[in-house]
Amino acid sequence: MKWDNPRIWLWVAAGIVVINGFFPAVWILLTSFKTEGELTRIPITWLPENPTLQNYVQAFTNAPIMRYFLNSLIVAGGATLLCVLVSALAAYALARLRIPNKTLIFSLLVGVSMFPTVTLLLPLFEMVLALGLRNNYIALILPHAALSIPVATLVLVSFFQGIPKDLESAAMVDGCSRLGALWRIVVPLSAPGVFTASILAFVNSWDEFLLALTLMPSQAMRTLPVGIQFLQGEYSFPWPLISAALVIALVPVALVIAIFQERVVGGLTQGGVKG
Amino acid sequence: MTQPQSRIRRSFGDLSERALAFWLLVPAALLLGLVALYPVGRLLYTSLFRRRLTDETGNSPVFVGFQNFVQAFADERFWTALWNTLLIVLVTVPGALVVGLLLALLANLPFRVKWPVRLGLLLPWALPLVFAGLIFRWFFDSQYGVVNDVIVRLGGERLLWVTTPELLFWAICISIIWKSSSFVALILLAGLQVIPKELYESAAVDGANRWQSFWRITLPLLLPAILVAAIFRTITAFQTFDIPFAMQNGGSSFETLAMYVRTMSIENLNFGYGSALAVLMFLISFAVTLVYLRYVRGADD
Repeated sequence: MKWDNPRIWLWVAAGIVVINGFFPAVWILLTSFKTEGELTRIPITWLPENPTLQNYVQAFTNAPIMRYFLNSLIVAGGATLLCVLVSALAAYALARLRIPNKTLIFSLLVGVSMFPTVTLLLPLFEMVLALGLRNNYIALILPHAALSIPVATLVLVSFFQGIPKDLESAAMVDGCSRLGALWRIVVPLSAPGVFTASILAFVNSWDEFLLALTLMPSQAMRTLPVGIQFLQGEYSFPWPLISAALVIALVPVALVIAIFQERVVGGLTQGGVKG
Repeated sequence: MTQPQSRIRRSFGDLSERALAFWLLVPAALLLGLVALYPVGRLLYTSLFRRRLTDETGNSPVFVGFQNFVQAFADERFWTALWNTLLIVLVTVPGALVVGLLLALLANLPFRVKWPVRLGLLLPWALPLVFAGLIFRWFFDSQYGVVNDVIVRLGGERLLWVTTPELLFWAICISIIWKSSSFVALILLAGLQVIPKELYESAAVDGANRWQSFWRITLPLLLPAILVAAIFRTITAFQTFDIPFAMQNGGSSFETLAMYVRTMSIENLNFGYGSALAVLMFLISFAVTLVYLRYVRGADD
């Protein structure tokens, strides 16, 4: 059967998955090298005719992309740190200690992770106004961290459970406290899990739009998704500029998932993340 | 070591263990309480008041009972937004499941080099929703979009995707399906990988073709994973905001429930009514979550 020639079909299958996933990214990469004139020509060109870096120069000079980038980095970095720290403590308790109502706690975690963000928006907006925290990084770091706690905790619990209890007991016999054992034995051994949880929390925060749009309204405090969304004019769509900005914004996330792809996949399927 | 002594020590251990567990859980509980539970309570409270910051009475809310909800039920814009949201759920959830299943089946083939395929699934997942919206807005551009370019090359007519309401709806759905199918695929891929290979081998020995083994083995065994993906997708699709927002540049000729809630509460500063809308949205979402939790608990037993 020619139909069944496995080689060809493997290539076709890989091609479909890869092209489906990469096409938009490749397309904006190609577009980001086109001139405005080339973009407004019909029929459209697929490859840039006179590749130019003009759009990148524009993105850095005319639009405060670096500022947005920095804002995103501070928010996502802060949220990740806080989230993983808090989640690691909770996950240790859930994985190792005898707690009443453990099922309830897990249900609560899953339940909270499914709250629609938009329903939290108004109360958070009011709180932030009342505390005078509008346009303050903290206004975004706290909710972003909290929204990733369920995922991070579930991932960490499953990692912690995989570490033999005897190792901790041994450490405690040798005079280590429980927290000491957590810090010296469990955390280092579950570094891959901590990593996975961190990546998930980071991507969640890096991608978040609704809260960032509302709680950080001043231009200087916008994160990348909000800043780039606002590069659209009311009547114009400066796509060369936007595509360059998108490429710049995508590079770090693309790098992170390229390097840690196996962990990310593992974490996604372990923690039951929403996507 | 005598028996009573060890019992005493253990009960002491238990006590401190409980206290320790409590303190370990406190930070997470505080953060979630502050950012998730308190807001929901606050929302319920505010939804019972008339409170518009644009009014002179803005800072002295008036208790109106369930009047905001009565208003919502008579509000045509609310029903339109709810209907739009349900349409999105009805189209994109099955759409993402089918496309995701296809991608998962393809990605599950025995490739020697796995990373390009894996990256092809992860990239759409990691892409911010707004960016997906922006990119597809450009894809569907009537003049310079690649979609119309392909249609014209194939001998078709240019379509006014973004300015024709029905076409805009489909453009939004296609964007959502593209963005979310890779996440579905990742979940289903994990489900596929735990199906024992022997089942297929023995089925093949019994003379089953691929189609039959797909229907009789793959699909039934994958059903739990499909269900999980479906529920996650339903809940997320119900919250759809970013993609239509970005594709319409913040405009709202096609408005979802989440978009309406935000417009009412943040743009119009109508806190009371906005809260009532948000409560309704929360209740519907919560009902779906309960179904999910029941399923999860059922699976644990």
